[in-house]
Amino acid sequence: MFEIQVALRFLKEGRMQTLLIMVGIAIGIAVLIFLNALIGGLQADLVNSTVGTSPHIVGNSVDKEPPGRLADLDRATKVFTRETVSREEDRPLRNWVPVVEQLEKMDRFTAVSPVVDGSGFITLGDTSLPVVVRGFPLESADAIYNLQERIIRGEFTAAGNRVLLGKDLAEELRVDPGNIIRLSTPEGVDGTFTVAGIFELGTQAINESWVLLSLSGAQTLYGLEGGINGIELQVQDVFAADGAARLLGQSFSDLQWTSWQEENADLLSALSSQSASSYVIQAFVLLAVTMGISSVLAVSVIQKSRQIGILKALGITTSGVSRIFLIQGALLGFLGSLLGSALGAFLVWAFFFFVRTETGDPLFPITLSPGIFFFSIGIATLAGMAAAAAPARRAARLNTIEVIKNG
Amino acid sequence: MASQIELKNITKVYGTAVKTIVLKGIDLSFQAGEYSAIIGQSGSGKSTLLNIISTLDRPTDGTVLVDEKDLTTFNDDQLARFRNETLGFIFQFHYLLPEFNALENVLIPYWLAHGKPPTETVELAKELLDRVGVADRMYNKSTDLSGGQQQRIAIARALVNRPQIILADEPTGSLDSETTIAVNRLLREINEEYKTTFIVVTHDRHIAAECDRVIELVDGRIDRDYLTEGLEMEERWKDLGPAQCFRIQEMAQECQHADSKGTEEE
Repeated sequence: MFEIQVALRFLKEGRMQTLLIMVGIAIGIAVLIFLNALIGGLQADLVNSTVGTSPHIVGNSVDKEPPGRLADLDRATKVFTRETVSREEDRPLRNWVPVVEQLEKMDRFTAVSPVVDGSGFITLGDTSLPVVVRGFPLESADAIYNLQERIIRGEFTAAGNRVLLGKDLAEELRVDPGNIIRLSTPEGVDGTFTVAGIFELGTQAINESWVLLSLSGAQTLYGLEGGINGIELQVQDVFAADGAARLLGQSFSDLQWTSWQEENADLLSALSSQSASSYVIQAFVLLAVTMGISSVLAVSVIQKSRQIGILKALGITTSGVSRIFLIQGALLGFLGSLLGSALGAFLVWAFFFFVRTETGDPLFPITLSPGIFFFSIGIATLAGMAAAAAPARRAARLNTIEVIKNG
Repeated sequence: MASQIELKNITKVYGTAVKTIVLKGIDLSFQAGEYSAIIGQSGSGKSTLLNIISTLDRPTDGTVLVDEKDLTTFNDDQLARFRNETLGFIFQFHYLLPEFNALENVLIPYWLAHGKPPTETVELAKELLDRVGVADRMYNKSTDLSGGQQQRIAIARALVNRPQIILADEPTGSLDSETTIAVNRLLREINEEYKTTFIVVTHDRHIAAECDRVIELVDGRIDRDYLTEGLEMEERWKDLGPAQCFRIQEMAQECQHADSKGTEEE
């Protein structure tokens, strides 16, 4: 097309002007890509460390509270943690096997584990420590908590009378794998167990309180007779957990379903305000890039007014003139963002390579998806065309006679 | 025979608050193949008249007919197409596009209407460049060429779409005297070769003297309109009024048509 040729030649003849604006666009787009990768990596890291190895949705078998009690409960200060929930009046779920099987068949859930939760005490000599007793099929729990890799001593097993202890709890009790402990419930049931292994789950609250049993061991201890009092789930897309929890609430109303988002509202609002400020920065960068293109093209219209005038005399249509400038804008945006993509990728690499923690590890993993490049190039090309709109209109309106008369 | 170009009662008024009437009811027609000059003092309206014939400007009143089509009813895009297909332009300031080389410049009128020119059009452009005597400058950028060379390329460009009419506004206005003579001769030859209608606006009486027909505008009206055929060069000069300068006469002599009895008082 003739207009493409003219646009290319105009840009080529512009040399310095074209080069400068291209570098300007490239820097803008590089910032866009870098910021995107940085914020994305940071947030993914934060979310992963929050819910990467914990359930995204928890279903608890609590009795629906009678209306009379609802009133004296201060709802606003009520914190939904596993501990508080499990201390409420339990009504065990007996017929849980088909429910778990059904959930396992659903693609959106990547891990499903039935749970028996309870509180108890470990008595060793004179000391008696309160603990959180958790019983589940270890292989299901492993899919959620990544337990096997986080056993620091001993074996990964809870078969028979064997249990796993948190690192800090074991230290406090001064027990090692192979030692025997005595576990008792508030109801006065107790049993002796052998410590099989010691785990470190990264959270102090867990490390100093959790005792992991097999599902049957916990069922016996709490007299549930094959029942469970909770189901823990992980979902494919962590941000879809609250939606999934709502759906579960409708389909399996026997349990009360809570998503991680409900328990981490502060983190989520921090993340979303971080995202929002990053978007604002990106929008302003894009705006600056657009204005830069626009001003360069506005100058170009003046510089090229002779050429435009002559082309009009020779029979180019007004839309043809507009196209010359729209194409220039699009080309600037496209080529500039191509350059910017390379620069952005380099910045990300440099950040990943040079900015390290004291131990020499990267601060957090940064993922550069091809999507962000396509998106940046697309949006820069569109911005270039939008920037060209006003100059293009001006060029199209240029009066040939004025141009020719003034030489 | 119907005229190729027919102007009826053309009026042109500039300005809204302060009105300047540039053309005051011009009636004029041109035959196909005619080589006419429009002359007049600056401000006489000759350029405005040419702009209206060339459809770059619209008359305030009146109609412009070319081959019996009323151009005043055309919209801008129709006019652009009309200019591209029917008219060739030669301006005082050559106006080649510096971003393109000579050959590309010649091809532009074809290119912008039909896309990439086929081989035969490129061959035609080369022939035209050869015809105007700058074939050896084909791949030069226009900025590397002299004014005369640029104007020759502009003439080739005006011819590439085989237009029926060529409009020239001071085609030699920025050329030196020798080049002026050569370019004028070239235009005249093209007129005879391709039977193209020429309308040349000029204040150069030398050019006017060599045209088939001279139209002189005074204050937006046609003052005189006559054919030069049969008139001796001396009479032509006399007719062209008292303002002639001697330099132009000398040039006229060099140009073979000069009357040997011409005054040489210098």
